[in-house]
Amino acid sequence: MLAEKINAEGGILGRKIDLQSKDEAGGVDAQVKLARKLIMEDKVDVILGYVSSASCLAVLPLADELGGLIYAYDCGTHELMEGKSSPYKVPKFQLGFRTSAHLGIDNIGLARMIKKHMPKVKKIAGINQDYAWGRDSWEIFEAAMKKLVPGVEVVKTVWPPLGNTDFTAHISALMGAAPEVIHTSLWGGDAVTFTKQAMGMGLFKNIKTAWSRGEPYPQEIGKDFPEEQFVCCAGTHYFLYPPQDKNPLNKWFVAEYKKRYGKYPTYPCYHAYQAIYSYKNAVEKAAKTAGGWPSADEIAKAMNGLSFPTPSGTLTFREDHNAIEDVLVGITKMTPQYPFPILDPKRLEVFPAKDVIAPVGTRTVDWINSWKA
Amino acid sequence: MWVVYLLNSLYFAALLFLISLGLNIILGVMGVLNLAHGGLYAIGAYMAAWLIIGLGTQTPALLIVTGLAGGLVLAGIVGWVLERSLIRAMYTRALEYQLLLTFGVLLLLEDLIKMVWGGQAYYASAPFDLLGNVAIAGHVYPVYFLLVMAVTLVTGISIWLFMTRTRLGIMMRAISLDREMAIGLGLPVSRISNLAFVLGSAIAGLAGALVVPTTPALLGIGMEPLILSFIVVVIGGLGSLTGALVGALIVGLTRSFGIALFPEIELPLLFLIAGIILVIKPEGLFGR
Repeated sequence: MLAEKINAEGGILGRKIDLQSKDEAGGVDAQVKLARKLIMEDKVDVILGYVSSASCLAVLPLADELGGLIYAYDCGTHELMEGKSSPYKVPKFQLGFRTSAHLGIDNIGLARMIKKHMPKVKKIAGINQDYAWGRDSWEIFEAAMKKLVPGVEVVKTVWPPLGNTDFTAHISALMGAAPEVIHTSLWGGDAVTFTKQAMGMGLFKNIKTAWSRGEPYPQEIGKDFPEEQFVCCAGTHYFLYPPQDKNPLNKWFVAEYKKRYGKYPTYPCYHAYQAIYSYKNAVEKAAKTAGGWPSADEIAKAMNGLSFPTPSGTLTFREDHNAIEDVLVGITKMTPQYPFPILDPKRLEVFPAKDVIAPVGTRTVDWINSWKA
Repeated sequence: MWVVYLLNSLYFAALLFLISLGLNIILGVMGVLNLAHGGLYAIGAYMAAWLIIGLGTQTPALLIVTGLAGGLVLAGIVGWVLERSLIRAMYTRALEYQLLLTFGVLLLLEDLIKMVWGGQAYYASAPFDLLGNVAIAGHVYPVYFLLVMAVTLVTGISIWLFMTRTRLGIMMRAISLDREMAIGLGLPVSRISNLAFVLGSAIAGLAGALVVPTTPALLGIGMEPLILSFIVVVIGGLGSLTGALVGALIVGLTRSFGIALFPEIELPLLFLIAGIILVIKPEGLFGR
């Protein structure tokens, strides 16, 4: 949709975008092979990719090795750009970038939200997928919760594999431990399966859930999605935020997307916007000094400090090649206007980037551990 | 809570048993280790999902029966085609050829599914939602899971009756015990082998169709059941139907209670059990 729009407006510096879609299936080895082929044989100008944190971790190092620009657009692991200890040298990859903020903002945002709305919480639990994404999400959330609410106890953590189809054992294990709130970074089919099975088993009667990237699921599941759950948006990405009368870009984006695809856009859609427009804006910025189509290195240099408007607000890039975003956390509520629970507009919280993103060169976990009580 | 842990074990065991049942029939009667089994499960799931979504608002009974029948029948048909064309070339070949061929078929089926149904997820949860919950020992439990257990029980008993009380079934068992002797006695081995493959495939499709109201039909949905069914077969014994039942129960119980008590051990636990069995009794608990 966006490639077509850009091409209709004249392309990037007069060149039309040829957007080739490739499948992220097949595991990490297949993705590494594919990335090599794309950069070395097909000579693509940039790879915009990866939903899975595992894919990102495997492929980003190829950017410098092969001299091709790779933009990680959706995967969340904070480990992608961090070094082994603080302070670490930035940027980690000269030609590798992340065009959306990492999972640190989601999980720290959730922790801050829970502290605000459940300040006396004592027992928490977690259900996360057993790979980098799930493990990292929980690590950050747990560290942040323990700092923000000292004395909170983790009563259970369960680790279903990615693609698990039977969550009944996990649901019962969680209910048996009687937590007050359950953290989860479940996404995709797993999130829907878990929610449906949990609804059937009565999990939501006495326990709240806190979703680190749960924004798409009320729409996916529909009116049955439980109310009063904490939902984070992987940034401030939501079809109702910023309110469309205040942000015409969001208004256009939501309307165009709904017209084409029949539903409201969700955070991966906004992430895609950021990826493609980061590249376009960087190329245009670099071309001003390069005088002609810029090289990969010139585009990479132009990415530094790049800042431009998106449907979710202004996006900025730091020298560590991470995109910087605020984070939106909401509480689900059913309203008459929509056939699924939306985030209650009266209780939306936006946590600014400085409260949820570690300073340059500091590992997220180290930053959290340095917070004063 | 312990009642629910037990129910969860039985639900998971029921699914495993169904998947392993098909695998074991094919393995027992034809001596073929069918890696394409996961693909037939997936076909059953997609067909059922497509039918359930297509039917829209109907009574749960209609949705369920149509979904199950559709999945079962399509998987059976695909199984028939596969056996006629490819599998029957494998009977006299070494095991390595079988594994390669059936794995190739698995990949083929996966791509076929992508061609027919595309890459998106199919959510067909109407039967699950419509059947609601029931109160058991102070907890709520979805009725659909009980239905899964019931369908598995009926299928298991039917297969057992078929194998022990019908001529066709007894012939199947004869062939699985001693293929050469069966040929010597003039049994229509080729026809019965084809039937066994169709039956095993149909049961795999039934399992996929049964599970789809609880989880979306996605690409790769057949992989996990395939691996799990192998673990069950290793534990229970190759070709043994009782073994499939016992193996499934062991896996179901250990997984459910394991997750409740030691969640970190979830992934390695099943492989650990399989490993132990391979060391103590390599042919499996009920294997020959």
